[in-house]
Amino acid sequence: MRKPENLIMMIGALLLLVLLPCLNAYGPPDSALHVSDYTINLWGKYLCYGILAISVNLLWGYTGLLSLGQCLFFSLGGYALGMHLMLKIGKLGQYYQAGNNPLEMPDFMVFMGFPELPAHWVPFHSFGFSVLMVFVVPGVVAFLFGWLAFRSRIKGVYFSILTQALTYAASLMFFQNKFTFGGNNGLTDFKTMLGANLNDADVRRYLYIATVLLLIAVVALVKWLLGTKFGKVQKAIRDSENRVLFSGYATTSFKLFIFVLCALIAGAAGALYVPQVGIINPSEMTTDKSLEAVVWVAVGGRATLLGPVYGAIFVNALKSWATTAYPDYWYIILGGLFVLAVLFAPNGIAGLPQQIKDIAVGWKRRNASSIEPGATPA
Amino acid sequence: MRAAILMKQFALALLMWLGCQNLSLAQGLPDAAVRQQLIEAVLAEGEDQPEKIEALAETGSGMVAAVLAQWRAGNLLVDASPDGAKVLFTREGIDAVRLDTGVKFSPLAPREVETTSKTRKAIKNALDLIAVASPDPELRSAAIGKLGMTRNTDYLPMLEARQVKESDPGVRKALVEAISVMQLADEDDVVCIAAVRKLGEMRSIPSLDLLKGMITSEDESEAAKAEAAKSVALIESYLKKVEAAGTVFRGLSAGSVLLVVALGLAITFGLMGVINMAHGEMMAVGAYTTYMVQNIFGGGLTLSLFGFGAHVPGMNLTGAAYQSYFIWAVPASFLMAALVGIALERGVIRFLYKRPLESLLATWGISLILQQLFRLVFGPNNVQVSSPSYLSGSFVIHDVVLGYNRVFVIGFAIAIVFVTWLLLTKTSLGLFIRAVMQNRMMASCMGVRTERVNMLTFGFGSGLAGLGGAFLSQLGNVGPNLGQSYIVDSFMTVVVGGVGNLIGTICSAIGIGTVDQTLQSVTDPSMGKIITLSTIILFLLLRPGGLFPTRTRSLEG
Repeated sequence: MRKPENLIMMIGALLLLVLLPCLNAYGPPDSALHVSDYTINLWGKYLCYGILAISVNLLWGYTGLLSLGQCLFFSLGGYALGMHLMLKIGKLGQYYQAGNNPLEMPDFMVFMGFPELPAHWVPFHSFGFSVLMVFVVPGVVAFLFGWLAFRSRIKGVYFSILTQALTYAASLMFFQNKFTFGGNNGLTDFKTMLGANLNDADVRRYLYIATVLLLIAVVALVKWLLGTKFGKVQKAIRDSENRVLFSGYATTSFKLFIFVLCALIAGAAGALYVPQVGIINPSEMTTDKSLEAVVWVAVGGRATLLGPVYGAIFVNALKSWATTAYPDYWYIILGGLFVLAVLFAPNGIAGLPQQIKDIAVGWKRRNASSIEPGATPA
Repeated sequence: MRAAILMKQFALALLMWLGCQNLSLAQGLPDAAVRQQLIEAVLAEGEDQPEKIEALAETGSGMVAAVLAQWRAGNLLVDASPDGAKVLFTREGIDAVRLDTGVKFSPLAPREVETTSKTRKAIKNALDLIAVASPDPELRSAAIGKLGMTRNTDYLPMLEARQVKESDPGVRKALVEAISVMQLADEDDVVCIAAVRKLGEMRSIPSLDLLKGMITSEDESEAAKAEAAKSVALIESYLKKVEAAGTVFRGLSAGSVLLVVALGLAITFGLMGVINMAHGEMMAVGAYTTYMVQNIFGGGLTLSLFGFGAHVPGMNLTGAAYQSYFIWAVPASFLMAALVGIALERGVIRFLYKRPLESLLATWGISLILQQLFRLVFGPNNVQVSSPSYLSGSFVIHDVVLGYNRVFVIGFAIAIVFVTWLLLTKTSLGLFIRAVMQNRMMASCMGVRTERVNMLTFGFGSGLAGLGGAFLSQLGNVGPNLGQSYIVDSFMTVVVGGVGNLIGTICSAIGIGTVDQTLQSVTDPSMGKIITLSTIILFLLLRPGGLFPTRTRSLEG
């Protein structure tokens, strides 16, 4: 089992990291080997979702905590970087060029009638600070919420319902104009990052490569973590928390650590997602999005290392295709897929080969027993 | 539509009959003379027409009111008789009735009697004046209130005369209010101040703006201003109380809908342990069933099923028969949602009893499918569910408006809670339900058909959600996303109440409904929602068991 997985990982990493960008940069434009800028951008988006899915899986698949708030952390990371990008628009903003915005505030603030840049926006002029906040904001929120929740020994479905409520409350908050984050429209119309033009094909390719690197790093981290004693305790918590607790492990601290770690991973994925997609708004943090991320994990394969990534890519590619081909039926396809995956393929795509093998073995055995009625059943 | 016309004609006939009664009793003007005056007023031209119309009011004749009302509705016509004279007549259904004699006849070349804006205003005033003499106390109070607001002091002597002979306390109050409002403009400061004080003592809400205007006005004396400020303060504090009472009432009714929905969830989630994310869609099933029943009672409707238009024929009922649709819609929505729930239980959930987290995900998938189906079948926009007439009125107690629909919802919620309680504690099915929920294996060993109990329990829970949807159709919009806005709330309600505890669910539903409405009226709706949610989250983080935690010796809870 281990060997082929390693091989797949190596090949996949090479494909994504080297082949795709090379074909994009050097492939002759009209040949079949050329990968368009659009495709690169699309895959960058898929892989960000893949990282998010890994964080969901680390919580749900390996620790037994179904968090419906991962999209919140994803969006918080995205907003933190988005704020920086928003401030960097500066003199390129429409209102500045029309002469209505001498303070170089983001356009939506002029539009919504803010007298000046709110104080908590000011430090986001610095790129370093913003990157720090990409981790600090989701981390702190996760820490506070997790600390309260795990301390009260909230688990199972209650944890899911509470994280769902948290996400819902936060999205309502971000939808408010006076919350200073652009309300309904969110943050958009970014121009540059670190001086590079975000609409440039080269810059987009680098962002894509950064996403692949982050994905590889996260996969490696998770793989390493699961191999350590920590990972074993983590899986033990999933299987029977009380036994772990009675063996003298402070399960609360373990769970809190994992929860915060997953929030950081999701935040980083969100931060890479925003410059590639060019917009972040509160609809990214609705409970539906969190559940969608759980769908990716369920479809791809829960408690498998790469399953979430397969799931995120598969479901989103399906979505890209179905929303144009069958716009009316997309939700029915998604919902149906989900029901089928939960009912019939509990291990998802990653578990499919094994499942087919099992079915085949079972089939053979049944045939064998029907041929020899005298044989004793196993 | 037809029902409305019928009602209107009935009301007119009644009014005319009452008018005749009045006429023969009181004023003593002969019928023919009134008719002549009426015709003169209608045929009069130019400036003096409004005056003549208003003068008609002094006859106090109900017949005049009826004719004026007809005129306003465009049912007063003129016909040229063979000898060139103009013959006025009114349309009574299909008949034409001559105004001068009150006899039916067949018009030759009828055309409507035209009105100018001045005439219409005069007609309205005259009607108001006549209504002041109406035998129905409610109509009288309403008419007096309207006259008061015109602040036309010409009416003052008439109102004062009324005050002497009025016996109904409600109308007396309206009279005092109207007279005081008119007296505010009085030249004499003493009268004015007395009126201001009177309005303050009466806590007259309609006059609040007038009094406020007095405070800033330059024409008023200092004493009057001070008195006005006092009265304004009195009225404003009264208004706050009225608003608070209204908010609490709205909160109670919102809480009642939440209660019915959450009660369903308390059964499927609290007792059975199934996380049904499609519970909100069961509500929508109930609401859409109400919509369907309404249309079947009315003109029918065309649904689009996967590109095929399916026409559902309507019974084309009118009047009371049509209005009764809601009485049928309530059980229909329960049954429909229960059937969908049972199908869901048989098809998906029964495989997932041991995996609650997975049941959450699978039912979320179902909810997506259902939402999209609603969108495909009923269209992406909200559909119109009309309130039957017996639910669209309201009581007014101390200026607090209590809508019948909300009162009905509260009453029905109480009834449902009672029925649920009876079912769970007094029937054998209830006994089986409780047995299966406590210990499935043991119940099964004792011969309880657990599969069947599961199915019925889930069906009942879903049916309750359907009922919630039927009620919601009377209070808010019905659309494909109806369930989404309720699902988080209802889960919160169940968890806050303490899972598996119906009393807790009742308390928390009413509490959350009231707090939510109060906060929504204090701040804005979404801010109120955010505060409520955050409070609930914090409460649950500190007290995970909710209001009434279930005490258990089992380790895994």
